[in-house]
Order: sequence, then structure tokens, then C-alpha cells
Amino acid sequence: MTFLFFSFVFFALFYMHFALAHRAWLMIRGKQSAELDMGYVRLEDFFGQSFRAKLSGWLKTAPQQASSTAALRVFDRGNERIFVAHGASYPAGRRETEVLVIEGDFTCGGDCSFERELMVKGDCAIGADTHLQAVAVDGSLNLGEGAHVRRWVDAAKHLTLGPDVQVESRVTSRSSIEFLPGAKALSLFASEIFTEGRHDAKLRVEIAPAVIVQIPHPASMKEPAHGYDPAKLHAMGGGTYLYDGALRVSAPLHVTAPLVVRGELSCEQESLFEKDVKAQGDVEIGAASMLKGNLIAGGAMKLGPNTYFQGLLHAGGAMRLARGVRGLREKLPVAAYAAGDLIVESNVVVNGKLASARVVKALSTPVAWLE
Amino acid sequence: MAVPLLIALSYVVIAFSVAFLLIYAIRHYVFGFSRLRIEVPKDVMELTGFHMPRVTVLVPMHNEERVAADILQALVDCDYDWDKLEIIPVNDRSTDNTRSIVDGFARKFPFIHPYHRTEGAGGKPAALVEACERAAGEILILFDADYVPGRAILKMLVAPFADPETGAVMGRVVPHNIGDSLLAGLLSLERSAGYQAARQSRYNLGFTAQFGGTVGGVRASALQAVGGWNPESLTEDTDLTFALLLNGWKTAYVNRAECFEEVPRSWSVRKRQLSRWVTGHTECLHNYWPELMRSRFLTGWEKLDAVLLLAMYWTAPMVVLGWIASLLLFFIPEAHQTPLLPLALAFLGYQLFANQATFLEIGAVALLDGTRVGTLLMPLNLLNFFANTGAICNALRKYYWNRFWGSGGDGWYKTHRTRLSNGGPNGHFFGGAHAASAAERSAWGLYHAQAPGD
Repeated sequence: MTFLFFSFVFFALFYMHFALAHRAWLMIRGKQSAELDMGYVRLEDFFGQSFRAKLSGWLKTAPQQASSTAALRVFDRGNERIFVAHGASYPAGRRETEVLVIEGDFTCGGDCSFERELMVKGDCAIGADTHLQAVAVDGSLNLGEGAHVRRWVDAAKHLTLGPDVQVESRVTSRSSIEFLPGAKALSLFASEIFTEGRHDAKLRVEIAPAVIVQIPHPASMKEPAHGYDPAKLHAMGGGTYLYDGALRVSAPLHVTAPLVVRGELSCEQESLFEKDVKAQGDVEIGAASMLKGNLIAGGAMKLGPNTYFQGLLHAGGAMRLARGVRGLREKLPVAAYAAGDLIVESNVVVNGKLASARVVKALSTPVAWLE
Repeated sequence: MAVPLLIALSYVVIAFSVAFLLIYAIRHYVFGFSRLRIEVPKDVMELTGFHMPRVTVLVPMHNEERVAADILQALVDCDYDWDKLEIIPVNDRSTDNTRSIVDGFARKFPFIHPYHRTEGAGGKPAALVEACERAAGEILILFDADYVPGRAILKMLVAPFADPETGAVMGRVVPHNIGDSLLAGLLSLERSAGYQAARQSRYNLGFTAQFGGTVGGVRASALQAVGGWNPESLTEDTDLTFALLLNGWKTAYVNRAECFEEVPRSWSVRKRQLSRWVTGHTECLHNYWPELMRSRFLTGWEKLDAVLLLAMYWTAPMVVLGWIASLLLFFIPEAHQTPLLPLALAFLGYQLFANQATFLEIGAVALLDGTRVGTLLMPLNLLNFFANTGAICNALRKYYWNRFWGSGGDGWYKTHRTRLSNGGPNGHFFGGAHAASAAERSAWGLYHAQAPGD
């Protein structure tokens, strides 16, 4: 009897170790995992489009309040309301606590506050220092100086992020984004993104650098020159080369094959990279260079003034695009991503995307520096 | 004389096995805590869709009539530009209806180029060797036939190849049949730790992630540079990972490129799968460790990580040897002269530190994935641990027996699947998802397909 009792106690205590696990197993037994969204497709303007789709559904199903007029329709959706107006112009300092849909154009004065999403089907101009939740505009959008958006901004036409505007998430436009000094966002995506002082006359689509250092080097080169040591270059196979150490070239650099640099990389102005290049350390590219492939940096990256890139830029640290930098190519958009801050100077034009894990910030370059 | 020798030998074995296992425990802690860090400096998701080279998708098939249509339809539905896409279903001597299914798709979609194999050596590596000769893509992406890729997976897997150092890329496999059996549920935990923690940490820390042979890709020029697939290997994926590493190429990992797979639900199937992995892995260890140590492309830490990865199956016999030595000491009266307290403290310290390591890794993953059930299921993972230990020891015993005595080892075999063709695009995995539209596949397909206000 004692044996049975102690056996029971022992097995009960033993089972208690696994009781929760046993319960968890009973919960999943016979079930299939449903963790993955197999239909997921990455869309840059997802937030704006998703909101539009949801709003369209809400307006179809939510009951309209009896107090609605022809000028202002009010829909009830649970404990929130949706205001729909044909067009509006808010005075300065106005506070809006409900979702607002404007079917025409919309303007608001300075220091307004929109605590819920704003949807405008015409053009939209937001006054200075206004606080918004999120904005979707089917026309053009101008965010005035110092405006602050807690989430995303999406416009179908031209979008201006005024001086010192801050958007805490993504900014997208189907047309163009003007990114004025002091403006900040997590990412920007548009057919064309440009900063203040834009002038395209200096854009050079072809350059002919006075090549001094070439990678892979000609067979005749045996001794180190201009900071490049031919003995450190190794073929990885498949036409790709590895430079074993830092590569700080005091001359224009011409790269004709995919290259991996085990260290920092820097080169002088009018360098030409015809293929993809990766450096495990920081990267600094001289002015008026051309990057035909992708450029990847394990650390920080800086593109010199008037550099032209046609692929992707990816930095493990901060990134700076100096004045006059151009990023565009045929058929596909380009992209620049930095794990640190991404600073964009004046007169920069990028057809595609600027993104950062921290912040993308437009910086005013002193006028004296501009060409 | 024999007894003191046995005692001394037991102590040596215990010390060695504890030291060996502690190294792996530290490794698990590093990976677990590393994943709990928020910053992911190598995140390539922001570049997804901006790097679109020509891609060939290879799908090895052997008697896959139940699933062939699912995977081909899923690949066609992907949002990759059809002008830059080639799909090669590699029909490896199937005797069922696979050929007609594949040919039916090829008639409908001109970028599907079937390769019907009727002779030559059997097995996936041998089939891949021949199929790759026909591939036109700069990047070769691989899926096993029973996998169901999501619509965005090709763009995600291709993005890391923007980095010229990337020779291969690996996505994440997620078991879908977690409720089929307790084993399947426990393997789901194991897979999560292996991908979300180990591979992602290794990639973040600058080490090479391991290419898994499916839900992954390889740069065609890199593959050619290292001599292609090794048809002799039972784990051609691991073999390729290290061949690439020795030549300076890295394997990237994209955690968000997730794909459902079916894990074994019976122990007989799991045992055979483990046996193949153990044999292939250990063979790679013997083939590559001298070159890894001499490699000028790798740092000391990278060499250590690579060797630890290849030698990981040795932990099982080390555990067993430690147990045997401990039992000997327990039952030999002459060994009981050791002070009990220090021994107890050492034992407790080891239990607290080393045995918690894998649980921490799995727990970290459950936290990241937000799977509460996974966390609760962890204690039952002890069953998996004991079963794995036995299966691995047995596989290693066979491997070394064959290695030293020259008898034939395990051949390549296909892991048994049970899924019927109800999980594909029209089944529960897709939840009503539609195929990518022409606009989504186009160059500027990063915008929503419909214009605002439509």
C-alpha cells in the first residue's frame, strides 16, 4: 500500500513537470500551422493603400447618422466616427478627433491637430507645425514647415515635405517627393525624390576617368602603387575578386569585376565601378564617380558630390549622399538603405527609395558649396 | 590495478565531454542572446524588389504527382518578373504522373522548361548537376517539390545577391504539420531554433549561415567556381556551403523568406533523415576541416564557428560517454572517496549552465515568433533530445564503421511525405490569395496594383 502511495506521489510530481507541456500539445494536436501569410507581397505604399481599401469598406457598411447633411456626412463605426466632406479649409489651431475624408481639396492653417487618419481625394496643403496621425492624398500634398506625422504619408501626385517636417514611418508618392532641409522620415519611395537646390545641368551620364588604378590590375603591375597592393588581390572564382585588407586608393579607381574588400574602401574623384563592390568596413567614394553596380558597406558609406549610382547602396552604418548625387537607372528603381542615419544633402535626385533603420534626413548644404 | 585505471579514465572522459559540451552551450547562449538584440544591421528586406537579376528556379521531383501542380502554380503566382524568370522542374525518373503534370504547365507558361531525367545516378545531387547545366539564370533558386512558396519569396531570396560576397542564400522553413504527431510538434521547435536563432545569429555576427538545399539559392558563377554540386555527398547543401566558404563566398540568411515544409511525423522517417544528415555533415567535417584551418579568407572566429557547425553531431556521443563514465564512477566503491560537495556543486553548475542553453535558444525564438504554445511545449523536448541522441550515435557508429572498415554506407533516399495535394494555392495555405498581377511583376511593381481611388 505504501509502495503504491509513494509511486502515485512520485508519478504525480513527475507529471507536474510536464503538465503545461502536455496541455500545450493537446492544444495543437491535429492542427496545422497557420503562421505564414502566403499571399504576402511587399508593397512600398502598403499603408496608404491598405487604409484606402479599409476606408472604402467602412463607408459602404457603416450606418450614416441622421444628423448628416449634404455638406457633411457622418458615419458611425463602433465607438468612432468618420466625417465625409466635399472640400474644406480649416483655420489655424483646429483640432479634429475623428477620421476625416475630404472628397475635394483640403487646406488647413498652422498648428492644427488631426488625431485620426486624414484622407483627401483632391489636393491637400497642411499648415506649419500641424500634428497628424496619417495622411492619404489622391492629389498633391504639401506638408508645411515643422509638421509632424506619427505614422505614414502617401500621395498619388507630387508630395512636398517642408523644412523640419517629421514623419515617423514611411513616405510614398506615385509621382515625386520634394525633401526639404531638416525634414525627416523613416523611408521615402517615389518615382523621383529630390532635395532643395535641384539643378540637372550638371548631371553626367558618362564619365571617362583618368584611370590610374584598375581592378583587376593589368598583368604588368607588380608593385604597390597609390595605396593599391596587387599581391592582396585574389580571385574567388566566377569572375569575382577579393582584396585582402583595406583599400585606400589615392587615385581614381576603375573596377571592372565584382570586388569584395576585406576592410575599408576609399578612392579619389571620378572613379568608375562597373560591377558590384562590397567593403566590409567604411566606404568613401570620391566626387563625380560613377557606380554602375551595387555598392555594399559593412560600416558607414559616403558618396562624394555629383556621384551617380545606378544600383543599390547598402550601409551597415550611417550613409551620406553629398550634394549633386544622382541615383537612377533604366527599368528598375534604385535604393539606398542605411542601418544608421541616412543624410541627404542639397541637389540630390534619387529615382526610387531612401530608407534607414533610424532616420533619413535632408540637410541643407551651404550655398557656397553648390556649383 | 584495473580499477584505479578505470576511475582515472572515467574522470578524463567526463572532463573532456563536459569541456566539449560547454563550448556548444556557450555557442547556444551567444546565438540566443544575439537574437534578442533588436538591431539587425544586415537587414536586406528594404532592398527586396530592387535587385532583380535573371533567376532560374530548380524543383527536383521524383514521383511527385500529388504535389507537383501545387508548387508549379505557386511559383507561377510569385511576383517576380516573368521576363527574368525560368522554372526548371527536374523530373528525376518518375514512374507516376509527374511528367504529364509538368509538361502541362510548360505548355501553358513558356518560361517553364522541364528537364526529364531517364537515366544516370539517382538522387537529388546528381539530378541537380545535370539540371544546372541547362539553367540560364544568374541566380539558381531551389525548392523541394513538397514545399509551398509564398508570392514574395523569390524577390526576398534574390535581394542578398546584391552583395557580391554572397555566394548562396537561405530562407526559413516553417513546419506546417505541427499537430500531426508529438514528434512533428517538437521538430517545429527544433526548426525554429535552427533558423530564427542559429542561422540568423550566425549571419548577423558575420559568420556564414548554412545553405539548406531548399528554400534557398546559389549564385551560378559561384557554384561553377567551386566545381558545382558534389554528387557523392549525402548533404550536397552543406558540402556547397563549405566549398563556397573556402573560396571567400558567404551564405546569407533571410528570415522573412519563409516557406512551409512537412516535417517527419514518425520516428522511423526521422531516424533515416537524421542518419543522412549526420553522415553527410560528418563527411564534410573530415573533408573540409584541414582546408578551413588553413584558409586565408577566414578569421579565427569564422574558422571556429565553421568547425563547430560541422562537428555538432559529435555532441551526442560525448553526452553518452559522459553518462557511461558517470555510471561507472557511481558503481565503483573505490571512486566514492571524492568529496561530495564540490562534485555536487560542479554537477549543479553544469546542469544550470549547459543544459539550459538550448532551452534558452528555443525560448528566445518562441519570444521572437510570438508562439506561446512553443514555449509551453519545451519540457517535452527532452523526449526529442533522448531520441536524437540515440539516432545520432547510431548514425555516427555506422559512419565510422564504414569509414574505417570500408563497407558501403547509406545511400541517398527521399524523405517520406504524407501531404496530399490540398495544401497548394487552392488549399488552406493560401487563404484566398490571388496570383500576382502583371503590374505587381513589372519593374515598378512595388506600388499597389490599383491606382488610388480606383
